[in-house]
Amino acid sequence: MNQKISKKDISKLLDELGKEFKVFSPSRESGVTTFAEWDGRDSSFLEWYRNTVISPKAQLQPLYEKMFSFHKDKEGYHLELPPPTDKKLIFGIRPCDAKALTIIDKTFQDTYQDPYYLDKRKNTLLVGLGCTNPYDSCFCTSLGLSPTQSSDVDLMLTDIGDEFLIEAVTDRGIKLIKKTSYLKEATKTDEAKAEEARRQASSKVTRRLDTEDLAKRLLSSFDDQDFWEKVSNKCISCGICTLLCPTCYCFDISDELVKKEGSRFRSGDSCAFPVYTKMPMENPRLEKWRRVRQKVCHKYEFYPMSFEVIACSGCGRCIRLCPVNWDITQILASLPVKVKA
Amino acid sequence: MTNREAEQRLRDEAKSLLESAKVDYIVGFADGSLKFHTTPLITRNKDDVDHLVINPFMASNLAKFLTELEGRVGIVAKGCDSRSIVSLVQDNKVSREKVVIVGIPCRGMINLSKIEQLAGKESDEIDDITRQGDKVVVKLDGSEKEIPVKEVLFDHCLACELPTPKEYDLLIDEPIPATPDEEASQAKINKLEELSHHERWRFWQNEFSRCIRCYACRNVCPACYCQRCFVEEAEPQWILSIPKWQDNLIFQIIRNIHLAGRCTDCGECERACPVNIPLRSLSKEMYDLVGELFRFKSGMEIDAAPLLTHYELEEAEDFFR
Repeated sequence: MNQKISKKDISKLLDELGKEFKVFSPSRESGVTTFAEWDGRDSSFLEWYRNTVISPKAQLQPLYEKMFSFHKDKEGYHLELPPPTDKKLIFGIRPCDAKALTIIDKTFQDTYQDPYYLDKRKNTLLVGLGCTNPYDSCFCTSLGLSPTQSSDVDLMLTDIGDEFLIEAVTDRGIKLIKKTSYLKEATKTDEAKAEEARRQASSKVTRRLDTEDLAKRLLSSFDDQDFWEKVSNKCISCGICTLLCPTCYCFDISDELVKKEGSRFRSGDSCAFPVYTKMPMENPRLEKWRRVRQKVCHKYEFYPMSFEVIACSGCGRCIRLCPVNWDITQILASLPVKVKA
Repeated sequence: MTNREAEQRLRDEAKSLLESAKVDYIVGFADGSLKFHTTPLITRNKDDVDHLVINPFMASNLAKFLTELEGRVGIVAKGCDSRSIVSLVQDNKVSREKVVIVGIPCRGMINLSKIEQLAGKESDEIDDITRQGDKVVVKLDGSEKEIPVKEVLFDHCLACELPTPKEYDLLIDEPIPATPDEEASQAKINKLEELSHHERWRFWQNEFSRCIRCYACRNVCPACYCQRCFVEEAEPQWILSIPKWQDNLIFQIIRNIHLAGRCTDCGECERACPVNIPLRSLSKEMYDLVGELFRFKSGMEIDAAPLLTHYELEEAEDFFR
């Protein structure tokens, strides 16, 4: 049987969870929405939260993080690793952003196991919150997602008016419910309300992306330089769409050195930047159209080839945050190769 | 001329420029894929020019694209865009002969963030936004709200000194006189100036902690045309590539110094920032300082010499003689 919780009790619930976890919830600072550590006070996000500018990916792969510190003395070099990961709980993650984590898991545990990401991932619980007011830039339903249901979270909440219906999705979710106060058993009426909320939310996602044979169509369009030049000409090669994308994971590594000690960091990198592929002798993606093509093909062609999943969950950030309104769904709809052979 | 007539004239002129091969490209604005957004239209195809629009949402500074395109370009330019074009011509980055400036007199562009704040809704939830003279009418949930236009224009538009391009080849509509309201434009900056040094330092520390180093501020800036930006230099490494607030702040300070005498206060850096860092509060200070010290306003006079790359023999400093 599913559970439910009154919206009034959400603050108390987060306080309680805060005793065991570092709890992150939607927050707004200087007009910028992000997931910030629960401060015990401000649950106003329940009113305004649609989705955040900074996706919860940042809790697992921060914009920058220290990999280790080092110093040198008479005995040689010494390394100091960062402290162990906190147990975290992300409250309110949207199905698109949760799916995005499942997508990038593939990369971080493929040919090598990335300890920085995986440690955080293992120690982070996801409490999903169904989306009832998607943006006009959202297109999650075209990627097989529902704005209100998710198999990528531990618990899933659905807005049913004054309360949230709570479903346990994983074993971790079941355990969490067992030790959580403030919950009541959901009734059949609650279930019916949730079903109606889900139906309404899905119909609000209106942007479409035709993913049928998309990888094949991209492959066939790969050499069409005219097409790629045309669709990339207004791109300004900034890093917004990649750095804020919940499925982009590229990073750069750099050292900060002061005399005989320092730290090694990794920080987000973007294939939109010409320096991303800069080599001593050449740059295979010096021209903008090659970089745009790479971004598009990586998400919708190469990633599915490697991992059988499109590296996009339709969150729409790349569309709504772009300074020139470059729209990936329009680009893909205008591929020169339209129909499968 | 009504807006529709102006738009039609623009399309006709653009088409004839392409047909007569006077230009290779047309650069203008088309409707975007999101409500109340435009998107740059860059095309060689005369059929595309029917998508050209004129409306209060043409926020981008299209001069940015001139340094990228090869050949002759017909470019739609508001007053501020024309200043950037003039500045690029003075810096020898763009040849005046290769640009056909299609001037658009401009009454200021609407800042969607300001509308969203006043309406308490995000732009995609708003039904309609129309400009009617000195008012903007916002339709929301079936009701209408009138807002004085000064409350919703971009800050830099409030201070606009050149609504109609001075340098142009074609002008699409009747010129609009300048009515700068420096005080309204400076409101945000004045509040900052009231802070103590310590408070202001804390303010910027906080603002720059959000910077994700996407470089949108630099990449939308027509004056940021360097092929190699100092932030990407590895030898010597001027700043770290990690988005630490100190390095983020230094990046912006150096950028501002580099832009002294070239920044036209078009406000693109602030508009493009995805994390709302009030970048114009820095750049406008430099813009005003340049005005005070040198009585120079970038991009206003096509015959002016570029400020910091031009020397006179009688100048006080003798190191370059």
